[in-house]
Amino acid sequence: MNLFAQILAAVLGTVGFSIMFSVPREYYPLCGFVGGAGWLVYCLALPHLAAPGATLAAAVLVVFLSRFFAVWRRCPVTIFLIPGIIPLVPGGDIYWMAYYIVTDQVELAAEKGFEAVKIAVAIVLGIVFVFQIPQKLFRALIGPGGRN
Amino acid sequence: MEREREIMDVAIEAGHILLENGAEIFRVEETVYRISRHYGIDSGSIFTLSNGIFVTADSVGTEPFAKVIHVPVGSAHLDRVAAVNQLSREIEEGKFTVSEARAELERIRHMPGKTYRMQITGAALGSAGFAYIYGGSPMDSLTAFIAGALLYVFILFVSRPHLSKMVGSITGGAVATVASMLLYNLGLGEHLNYIVIGAVVSLIPGVAFTNAIRDITDENYLAGVVRMLDALLVFFCIAMGVGLVYAVAQRFMGGMVL
Repeated sequence: MNLFAQILAAVLGTVGFSIMFSVPREYYPLCGFVGGAGWLVYCLALPHLAAPGATLAAAVLVVFLSRFFAVWRRCPVTIFLIPGIIPLVPGGDIYWMAYYIVTDQVELAAEKGFEAVKIAVAIVLGIVFVFQIPQKLFRALIGPGGRN
Repeated sequence: MEREREIMDVAIEAGHILLENGAEIFRVEETVYRISRHYGIDSGSIFTLSNGIFVTADSVGTEPFAKVIHVPVGSAHLDRVAAVNQLSREIEEGKFTVSEARAELERIRHMPGKTYRMQITGAALGSAGFAYIYGGSPMDSLTAFIAGALLYVFILFVSRPHLSKMVGSITGGAVATVASMLLYNLGLGEHLNYIVIGAVVSLIPGVAFTNAIRDITDENYLAGVVRMLDALLVFFCIAMGVGLVYAVAQRFMGGMVL
């Protein structure tokens, strides 16, 4: 697997979504960075963990970075979080589920569908827990150097 | 009395723009509170659903104020969310009078969106990127780029103005699959599956899904559950659109294309 190409594709895809969601242009690089970093963690974790575990690790980073950038640039966290989390959404699994249903391979379809649910739960857990970190911590991390 | 009304209208307009363009419930309520409190109304109450805002204010000595607005969910414009967020911060810093704030909100509401060409390029980039990371080859990615662009043209000119969300998602999934099959049969790309996965990606309800999780986490269950249902329904409809085309293709072309 060509890791560099994978990351590049994730960055471009995330920027594509930022454009679709009308993110202000100045934030495209940061959005791409969040999406790329998340996918890098996913790719690095995948040999050691199952897909839901790797997704959880990636989601934790994506949410953390989104919150960090939101405090730093003083803008809504949504701007980075929504495009950045999209590479992790189990679109592929949902596709395969539909594919196996149509081709009458019900067992495989159930397997993919269940996998999609597990990955979605991993994303939920990542979001839920990282949003518990108090905002103060991010302010402290950035210090007085934040943009005004 | 007049002033109270004016303040509440400005606060609600800010909330309206936020909710309409993909903000979380928490941000909508927080912003309405902050703006009304800054201009001196402490008695405001707000309750927000995924598609409606209910606000009342009842200061001593004035007539009670109440307003309900219906906010149909549009497509996300996160630049407007960012702009209202910035405005609300600057209001708190005392930089805006009530009427200036109203004018600024008017400007934000009419902020030009991205041009069609930009949006189509964005969708195509998204499709190309995701076709590759979900396992496709570079040629699959290129093919998904074209199919993704075709799908977005369909979304912009047919499904968004004319179709309901469910029908739009089903036909969107179908259009993306047909476009991918045509390109594949013209000799572009190597794996039809990955081309289709990439092509449909711009239909993914990313805003609804992420906001649903955030809202449920904030214990705004009602709005969160509605948004989650919205997201799941769209996922289901996309899969159905793709599946329908495959089923028809299998029936009439003997599964050659699969």
